[in-house]
Amino acid sequence: MSKFDDFAKLHVAGDPLVLFNAWDAGSAEAVAKSGAKALATGSASVAMANGFGDGQEVPLDFAVSNASRIVKTVALPVTVDFEGGYADDAEGITANGRRLAETGVIGCNFEDQVVGTDRLYDVQDQVARLAALRSGVSRNFFINMRTDLFLKTPTAAHNEALTDQAIERGKAYAEAGANGFFIPGLADLSLVKRITTAVPLPVNAMHLPNGPSRAEWATAGIARISHGPFPYMAMQQWLTEQARAALD
Amino acid sequence: MAGTYETFAALHVPGNPVVLYNIWDVGSALAVIAAGAKALATGSHPVADANGWPDGQKVPLEFVFANARRIVDAVEMPLTVDFEGAYSVDPAEGGANVARLAETGAVGCNFEDQVIGGEGVHPLDLQVRRIAAIRQTVGDAFYINARTDLFLKTQTRDEALIDQVVERGKAFADAGASGFFVPRLADPAQIERVVREVPLPLNVIAFPGAPDKQVWADAGVARISHGPFPHRALMATLTEMGSAAIN
Repeated sequence: MSKFDDFAKLHVAGDPLVLFNAWDAGSAEAVAKSGAKALATGSASVAMANGFGDGQEVPLDFAVSNASRIVKTVALPVTVDFEGGYADDAEGITANGRRLAETGVIGCNFEDQVVGTDRLYDVQDQVARLAALRSGVSRNFFINMRTDLFLKTPTAAHNEALTDQAIERGKAYAEAGANGFFIPGLADLSLVKRITTAVPLPVNAMHLPNGPSRAEWATAGIARISHGPFPYMAMQQWLTEQARAALD
Repeated sequence: MAGTYETFAALHVPGNPVVLYNIWDVGSALAVIAAGAKALATGSHPVADANGWPDGQKVPLEFVFANARRIVDAVEMPLTVDFEGAYSVDPAEGGANVARLAETGAVGCNFEDQVIGGEGVHPLDLQVRRIAAIRQTVGDAFYINARTDLFLKTQTRDEALIDQVVERGKAFADAGASGFFVPRLADPAQIERVVREVPLPLNVIAFPGAPDKQVWADAGVARISHGPFPHRALMATLTEMGSAAIN
């Protein structure tokens, strides 16, 4: 069985795969040692670790070579947070997806915000972008379609109408061949439950400090939990504490 | 605006050592700065570990430079880079490599005498020529922390070994080194002897179980680095946290 198959099968609604996000080969190795079944990078962590802003400011060459170093270091399936594919146009997305897949990663996150703006791509545009990405990678590549609806909207406005929009996107992405649907920023479990029921894809939630527990996510039908930038941020804080003890 | 060579050199005070909590990337640099660091030092081993390469000049030279440049661009304090054996046994080539390192904005480097990928340390006369070539290429305003690996390569850490360490330290000083680094030198009496006889600021490495910082300060140490231990400890903590989240 391929790494892609292994990875895809780990997505079980109600018994979510947990991805404790890494940012370099060393952190990937450390997370692998903790019993992880798969590894995921976080774009914000990779950016912060290397002095870049988030939002595709990590140069594509660096993002790709970093992914390659991680794949060579760990045996587990690796998925990369690829933001918006580093291109607006279909040709660019296809070419960039191909480069990423050539590193040996078995999947990526692909988001619907227009990076650097407050806007999202229209559903039809994002569906076309998804098709462009798919044509650069094989069928055996886990495209985790992320909607930024909830990140772009204040938590107080995470309501039924916004959830309707998310469901519309999730269904359209599923029809267009996505493998997963990622809804970072949403923590209202009744809304999550609506999405996991209506969208025919494994749904990925982002763990939040003081957010729902793993068991609560599971009950809401989540198939994958990512930790995003939080492992990196926790490590930074821990390193500062250790350094302070050594320096004082 | 990165820190300067002058600022960095002035931090080396025998009896009041500068502590370098070694880093490997921009993020770790920022975390250590938040802790109140006065200067930054990479460790070659953590840079290698963080990026999936073995230690011993297996990190590509271009990556070393790019990593140093990213750190210099992100911080406002002096950075010194663990440059192993300058990626060449040849004195002129090593000098040229250090000159390229200086172009990144790093204000100094470690330069070691072990035979990378081989046995033991380079003959003293060769090592002296290598240091002199670096100094000639890089100019005065660059902190060459000349490291001897005699303690790493030898189990019997007796007075005869200290004789050799002192001989190297003196020769490195004459060749233009700015500092003298003896990893795994730990015994206060041995440190006192090296400090007394070698006319360079002495750098030792803190390791789990090492004497207290004050003991080393009292023995005359001017710089304490932490080598691979910060990265190792951090990665062990990440494994624990990951385990709590995953299992």
